[in-house]
Amino acid sequence: MHTSRKVYTLALLISILLVLSACTGTEAGNAEQTSKASNAELVFASTKDIRDINPHLYAGEMPAQNMVFESLIINTPEGIKPALAEKWDISEDGTTYTFYLHKDVQFSDGEAFNAEAVKLNIDAVLENVEKNSWLNLVAEIKETKVIDDSTFQIVLKDPYYPTLEELGLTRPFRFISPKSFVDGTTANGVSSYAGTGPYILTEHKQDQYATFTVNENYWGDKPQIQTIKWKVMPDHQTILLALEKGEVDLLFGSDGDMVDNESFKVLTDQGKYSTVISHPVGSRAIVLNTNRSATREPQVREALMYAIHKQIIADGILNGTEQVADTLLSTSVPYADVGLEGVQYDMNKASDLLTAAGWIAGSDGYRYKDGNKLELTIYYNSDNAQERTISESMQNDLKQVGIALNIVGEEKQAYLDRQKTGEFDLMYSLSWGLPYDPQTYVSSWRVPSHADYQAQLGLEKKEWLDHMITDLMVEQNEEQREQMYKEILTYIHQENVYIPLTYSVTKAVHIKALQGVGFNVSQYEIPFEKMYFEE
Amino acid sequence: MGRYVIKRILAIIPVLIGISFLAFILIHLRTSDPAEVALRVNQVTPTPEMVDAMRETLGLDKPFLTRYVEWIGNSIQGDFGISYVNQQSVGEQIARALPATLKLSAVALIIILTISILIGVLSAIYENRLVDRLMRALVFIGTAMPSFWIGILLMWLFAVKLNWFPTSGMEQASSVILPAVTLSLVFISTYVRLIRNNMVQNKTENYVLYARVRGLKERTIIWKVFRNSLQLSITALGMSIPKLIAGTVIVENIYAWPGIGRLCVTAIFNSDFPIIQAYILIMGVMFVVCNLLVDLLNSALDPRIRREG
Repeated sequence: MHTSRKVYTLALLISILLVLSACTGTEAGNAEQTSKASNAELVFASTKDIRDINPHLYAGEMPAQNMVFESLIINTPEGIKPALAEKWDISEDGTTYTFYLHKDVQFSDGEAFNAEAVKLNIDAVLENVEKNSWLNLVAEIKETKVIDDSTFQIVLKDPYYPTLEELGLTRPFRFISPKSFVDGTTANGVSSYAGTGPYILTEHKQDQYATFTVNENYWGDKPQIQTIKWKVMPDHQTILLALEKGEVDLLFGSDGDMVDNESFKVLTDQGKYSTVISHPVGSRAIVLNTNRSATREPQVREALMYAIHKQIIADGILNGTEQVADTLLSTSVPYADVGLEGVQYDMNKASDLLTAAGWIAGSDGYRYKDGNKLELTIYYNSDNAQERTISESMQNDLKQVGIALNIVGEEKQAYLDRQKTGEFDLMYSLSWGLPYDPQTYVSSWRVPSHADYQAQLGLEKKEWLDHMITDLMVEQNEEQREQMYKEILTYIHQENVYIPLTYSVTKAVHIKALQGVGFNVSQYEIPFEKMYFEE
Repeated sequence: MGRYVIKRILAIIPVLIGISFLAFILIHLRTSDPAEVALRVNQVTPTPEMVDAMRETLGLDKPFLTRYVEWIGNSIQGDFGISYVNQQSVGEQIARALPATLKLSAVALIIILTISILIGVLSAIYENRLVDRLMRALVFIGTAMPSFWIGILLMWLFAVKLNWFPTSGMEQASSVILPAVTLSLVFISTYVRLIRNNMVQNKTENYVLYARVRGLKERTIIWKVFRNSLQLSITALGMSIPKLIAGTVIVENIYAWPGIGRLCVTAIFNSDFPIIQAYILIMGVMFVVCNLLVDLLNSALDPRIRREG
């Protein structure tokens, strides 16, 4: 009797707990959401800490750097616009850029922003060649000059055409107070993070959170939200639960790094949150190695183009959030609208091409030539579950036409090492998105440590291609440049080096009270300064 | 006793050298060149010249044994090198993360002790009755579930639905409860079983029969049985402390708890070798030292061990 009373008490307790959870659940979340109708604080969840946001180095998170530090000009969907420079002139020979700076701008530590500060910053970047050499502009700058307090000049070695785009990137050409320099440089760290941007980093608890507060002396339009709290949550599931509880207001990221496609669809269907998708920002493609195994044969590469059912990948795996890609770069990317025809899925055509190339179907359903099986291997970064699923879909498509596809997931570092050595048949390739596309992406094809370089090595005209890219970067004539891009992209397209899959997008999920959530040109930036809570 | 202590301490020296050597060599067995990794994690495209310069900076151009001796010498002084990712001292990062892990482990230990003793004793008292079976079933279910799953479930119920705790982080005092409960669940079943079985076994001993014959109260007898059963559990508990600290890896990630478990996972994802090496070394030393302390404690309690040793 005594025992059964205890059992009943325990059962009762469990029942109460379950009933409580059912009753209080949604109310808790909703209460948090409605109380957000003030512009006091926005909580943003990120899987990563902001780390060192020194704008001249690469260890920090770009959206955080973007809140605190500004550049002379910015890349916008409408083109390049003034930022810390009110206007600029370019000399006729395209080698001298003169910037006229905003007057009365101060760094958040009270230091004046002037031509001298600009020179000190740009020189600090140029001196740190080791870390900044990936950006062509760094190698192209010959001289920096202070003309007067508010006029600054850059002299180039060649008329490098993407100068303005690259000056407007989140890093490295952003400005930090000269007082923050250590031993006259920023290469080995900085003593503080004083910028001219709309927010000031006021608190940072490593691996926990960072707080950004409005810069009261900001020279431009002040943001409406007073504080941005950057909360670090390494686990995606935790982020989703924190959003449901109302502890987080905004999720924002590209390529499924913040919210995977499945969760994004569920959150959209729920209707409890607002979900936003950007225009295509980058390209998701498979790069085929022209220097190895069967993919060396042009007909095999062409057959692969016909054999992959991209629509299934876009609809079935990416839940329709990404648009099928016909060409390596979207036609919305500058210089990329060159009238190339996309290849449509056609299994029969793929089979015919393979047969014509001498690959004959064997009794096991796979094709053989000279006793060798038509067997390819695709490598992917094992951190990326999406890439595995896409690989499996392709494996099934290729099996239909008699190609065996092996799938190998590797740890990120091993995957990167493989890119460098060129030991792959197929690999994933993501472009960097605007404003890096097309110039920085195409430029990287010449660097041996990139998969693109290794994959293109088997091309008959690889040498021509690399020279063409080098010449293109310093071509001053706009029409000539368009023509050169056309030749490069057409050659790559005709040689079927890439199987374009989809154009990737950036996604945001936020509570309904939050307004003004949009996208900058770069997928790596988050325009916090434009956001506000509905009053 | 003195001789035994010296003998045991001397015996762990080759073990510690073995652990440190393993921690050092494991990283070098990887195919990735640490110099390249150090460049890549900072988004620097490695060129042959830069890789050479980085090899020199990291001291990778020196012979293997020289590097090992230098590393172990510096590690003894608490200098584990510099992180490839954020260029901060690894020792400082571990020192910053360790208190969070210790706090989490301490709370988990309290939960383990309280729940295990409570359920273990109740199960032993009501041996094979409904309460015993129900409690053992509950503990079994709780511990059979993987940590990440139970962590998410607890978060959903107690943080989201009931709104009793925050989902993650360590900003509020109550933040520690859910991760500590998740962490403790794995250990609770072991101790419940241990305490229950020891008590059940002790209940059949002659001294219990004698106590009953003497007419002692049941409560007093249970207390005696419990005290006698606890000795074995203390030994097992000694080894659980390093296990608890090492076991925080998954829990710290789920609950965004900024401890060394999370530091290690982040380092693994970034191939930040100096942190991984330091983590392996510290955990190894912790296991060896705890094992030694448990042995010494047991030998102090039981002279037969000293004689055998």
